[in-house]
This record gives sequence, structure tokens and C-alpha cells, in this order.
Amino acid sequence: MTGAITSAILARMWTYHPELLAIPVPRYTSFPTAAEFGDSLGPNAFIDALEQASGDISLYVHIPFCEKICWYCGCNTSVANRTGRVSGYLDALHREIGLVAERLPQGARVTRIAFGGGSPNGISPIDFVRLVDALALQFAADSPVLSIELDPRTMRADWAAVIAAVGITRASLGVQTFAPQLQNAIGRVQPASMIEETTAMLRGAGVDSLNFDLMYGLPGQTMADLEDSLRRTASLGADRIALFGYAHVPHLIARQRKIDAHALPDAAQRFAMAARGHELLVDAGYVPIGFDHFAKPGDALAKAALSGTLRRNFQGFTEDQAPVLIGLGASSISGFPDLLVQNEKNTGRYRMMLSQDRLTASRGIRRRDEDRRRGAAIEALLCQGRARIEPILKEEAWPFLQPYLDAGLCRSEGDDLVIVPQGLPYARSIAACFDSYRNDSLRRFSSAV
Amino acid sequence: MANCDLCVVRNRAICSSLDAQELEVLNAIGRTRTMQPGESLIWEGEDSVLVANVIDGVLKLSTNTEDGREQIVGVVYPSDFIGRPFGGTTGHGATALTEATVCVFSRRDFDAFAREHPALEHKLLERTLAELDRTRRWMLLLGRKSASEKLASFLLEMEERLRPSGCVWNFEDGASRRITLPFSRQQIADVLGLTIETVSRQFTRLKNDGVVDLPSRRDVILLDHAALVAEAG
Repeated sequence: MTGAITSAILARMWTYHPELLAIPVPRYTSFPTAAEFGDSLGPNAFIDALEQASGDISLYVHIPFCEKICWYCGCNTSVANRTGRVSGYLDALHREIGLVAERLPQGARVTRIAFGGGSPNGISPIDFVRLVDALALQFAADSPVLSIELDPRTMRADWAAVIAAVGITRASLGVQTFAPQLQNAIGRVQPASMIEETTAMLRGAGVDSLNFDLMYGLPGQTMADLEDSLRRTASLGADRIALFGYAHVPHLIARQRKIDAHALPDAAQRFAMAARGHELLVDAGYVPIGFDHFAKPGDALAKAALSGTLRRNFQGFTEDQAPVLIGLGASSISGFPDLLVQNEKNTGRYRMMLSQDRLTASRGIRRRDEDRRRGAAIEALLCQGRARIEPILKEEAWPFLQPYLDAGLCRSEGDDLVIVPQGLPYARSIAACFDSYRNDSLRRFSSAV
Repeated sequence: MANCDLCVVRNRAICSSLDAQELEVLNAIGRTRTMQPGESLIWEGEDSVLVANVIDGVLKLSTNTEDGREQIVGVVYPSDFIGRPFGGTTGHGATALTEATVCVFSRRDFDAFAREHPALEHKLLERTLAELDRTRRWMLLLGRKSASEKLASFLLEMEERLRPSGCVWNFEDGASRRITLPFSRQQIADVLGLTIETVSRQFTRLKNDGVVDLPSRRDVILLDHAALVAEAG
């Protein structure tokens, strides 16, 4: 574990340069980012892309329902309180599955299906199994790798039985924090016993890769609160951890107005929390993945990170190598090598269009050659911490990079740009130097740390 | 009117979770329907106004692709449940392959009944999971490349599904197992996406290899179960 120890020591050397984190930058779950999406594609771009798809394909299925809405959450979701709303949405989703599947050529193979939301366990187990059945049938997917996002508050024995029977091997729990007063502050109350029981149920159901989503930078959160949540997570045996900084943007996410902004940690405290979180998890034996994920050494995500095959997609860091990701459900984004395109976000319009057997993806952007080259550099910097930079890009990006080079956060190695371990918290900012769309509008994004 | 007391699949069907009083209510909202080969129960794309228990016979489940091809998505047998209670489109139609008897309910009546009976709702979940399992096996079968793998898998599925409930045939005793196929050679070819010539050729080969015996067009005697499993891949 020399590597881990070295990295832990280096993490303690993270230095806070407020001026280098001053400009908010995207998370780069795609490049170009969703902020660059426009309405000029027309409905045929998506259909053409489907008809030309080949090889391995991953599916993302969006279930925009939760039993309760948490105040911090920026996801496209609503309360699953009306049977009619849920069944109407699921009807539309079933139609969409049929329409998309019949466009795919024979050579395209669905190898992964991820269910996210919202909370997929906000719908009934029967409805969920029917959805899996429709996907298996329409996409001829007899044995894909299945993953699911789960809300511990609505995790019951019938769901565990379904997860086992359906053969879901990967699950992600929205934990955020174990501290009761912080759970109150963000409108997500779930006692530690509930998270423990959910973990036990999922292990019993055969889930062998379990992720906990956690947050720092919550209102009133202390370093001790964060450490406690991270230790509990490690002791519960989470295979993967995503440690996100809470982004308080009430002008964009109206729900967040319920959160008391006075108690929010400041930028320096946020930086210290990110650094301490990294240090604690590495000391606990986790492999750091990109800039905000961690995984146990045996987990597929850690293996991908160690072998240099880590990728970035709309769900964060991933070991998924599929060149095509098809998003199903309202607001889902599909990614093809030359196209990014998003489904209708409004669930009412999504349902209406599908009731007329029309696919809803029309907002997006074509990925030009230049976008793909820049995107490859950005992805490599975020996933591998190094990227080969073409001379033309280098010339353009160097003035932006200079402060990071001067601070010793990255350096040139031949044709490569390398982010040094101390530079990790600046990775998004360094990657942003290659983002041609970057301008004043980037104030809309959250801080990198 | 259905008569649950006389129902031959009573202890295997979805309604087995109900007590006598509940059955009486269910009895009142269901009706028995007999079907001729080729007759359809639910038309694809319509609202799934009907749900049904199969009492006798075999039905195929199929959808039509946009370019007009029929895709068989499964076969249902006695005690299987067909339909999508609790809303949603049916996704597929059910067409009788043999003379069949089904116990039919309107979806609205069945939904209302199931909501009031958690045990039935639980059974329904089990059936939905079984349906998923069936879909996956079917996709695996259709995804297999060779005709011999397809036919062997198909015969094994037939043997299992047409076997009386709870009865496991003991091949180790050297006993053979006779099944009466509910399909003609042409129907098997349609279901498996093969030509009738290929299906007939594969049957002949299995017979020559001593894996099966074929006393008539519809009867198959499985002589070597292990060989058939190996053949299925």
C-alpha cells in the first residue's frame, strides 16, 4: 500500500489557493456540458444516432419520483403521491423503451442498465419489475449489469427481495450525512439504524458493489461531523464513496430556499473538509477515484482507476467503457461519440409526446472533432490526472494554466500535462482551461471544491 | 361464470393465496372462456382491459415490430397468469396455439380486488418476477446462434413447463419422459425463427443420435436428458 500511504501524505500537503478556485467551473460529466445544449438539433439527430449505434450500449433509466423531496437536491424529481402521475409516466417510459429499441441495429448490445432518479424505489416493486421485463424484452438484454440508486427511507423487505430476484449487483444509497441535526437542516431525516438495515438488506440481496453518497459543506456541519460520517461509512463496508461539496444555489434550485444559508461553511472551510475527507478515506484503505470518488481496492471502479481505464459520464466516474449511453425517461441525456442530446425535461410534455409515439430528445449539441479532442483532454485530466495535449490546444490553454503551473499544481512532461497529487482539488479548474465555451456564464456553476 | 371449486389449476394459479370467501368474490367477477387455435385474447397496443389465468392449453405471447414482423416473446402454459393489472399497456398479445381455456377478468375489477388483498398483490409480484425470468430465458434462447441449440433449449423448456406441478422426472432410473407437443413443426419454426425444414432436420438428427424418439408428429420421448442439456449449450 505504499502508493496509498504516499498519496495520504501528499493529501496533507493540499494547499488552499483561493484565487485559483475563485471562478466556478463545470463538473464535466460531459463535454460540451449541458450548459452548451441548444434547441437547433431537431428530432432526427437522435434517431439517426440510434440507427447508427453499434457495439456495447449502456442504458440510463430515470425515475423522477421520491417519497419525500430533500431540500438540497437539484435532481429532476417530484413526490410520488399520485398513482395517476406515476402510472402515466411509466406508460410513457414503456412506449419510449419500445420506440428506442426498434431503432437500434442488430449489432448493438445492451450490457449495462442503470436506474436513477429521483429514487427508483419510489415506485412499486411490481412496476419496477415490469420495467426490467420490458427492457429485457425490447433490447434483448438477457444478462446486463444492473445498478440502482436507492433511498434508505423507502427501502423495505419487498424491495430487497426484488433486487435479489432481478439480479441487481450494484446499488447507491443517498446517505449525505449521519448527523441528525444536519439531516434536519437539509430535510432528509434517516436514522443511522435505517442506513445500517438497508446496507444489511442489500448485502443479503447480493449487492456486491455498494456506494454511499456523502456531502461536505452542509449548513452547520463541523469537521467532526464529517469525520464521523466517513468513519461510519467505512465501517459499514461501503465499496464506493462519492463525497460531494453541497452547492447552495437557491436562485437555481428553489427547494434550497428552505436551507438556512447563514450556517454554511465558507470556502476555506469547504476546502479543509474536502482535504480531510480525502485523507481520512485514503487512510481507511480507499483508492481515490478522480476528484470526488473513492473505492475499495478490489472494486471495479478502483481497478479501472489503477489500470488507467476510468471514464467520466453523466453519473460521475465510472469503469463503463461503452461508447454509447442512451438515457430513457424525462430529462435523461444520451451520449454518442458525435452527439449529446437530452430528453424533454418537463414530465407532462414528456408524457404528451410519447402518447403520440414521438421520441422527446431534441435539445443538445453535436460534438465536433474539436469538441471531441478537447473533451478527451478534459476527461483524461479528470480521470487519469494526465493528458496528452496537442500543440494547438497547448498554445491556447497555457496562459490560463500558468497560475496553476506556477503554484506547482500541474506540470508539463513532454507532450503531457500532469496534475500532481497536491493539484487534485484544482483538477476541474485545470481541466476548464481547455474548455472553449468557458466564459462569464460559468458563474452559474458550483465551486470546484 | 367461473367455477373455482372445479378449477384444475386452482392450487398453482395466482388465486391460490385466497380463502374460500375471497374466491367467491373473484368467482363473481371472472368468467371462463374457451379459445380455438389462432384466436387472440389481448390485442397488442390496446389498453390491457383483460387479465387471465390459463386453465388449459398453450398460448403464445407476441408483439409486432414497426416493420410488421411478429416477435414471439414467450409461451404460456396452464396456471400462468396473463395480463398487466395495475395499469400500463399490455406490450404483447396472447394467441392460442392449442384449444385453450382461460379464466378472464376485466382489468378494472381485478385491480380493485387485488388492492384489497395484499396476499394476491404479493402473488402478482411473484408472477411478474417469473415473467421476467421467462423473458430472459427466451431472449437467451433466441440469441443462441445454432438451430440445434435453439431446438434443444426449446424441448427442455417444454418438458419442464408441461410437467405436472411438483413432479420431477427421475432420468437416472433410466426412465424416459413423453411429452405431447402443443405445436406443429411449422409453429415451432415460427417461434424459434427457423425454417420448417431446419426444424424437421434437427428432429431427425436428435432421433438418429438416440437423444429422442418420435412416435408421432406431436409426441416426443426424451431418452437422454443429459445429452439434450449438453446440446442446449
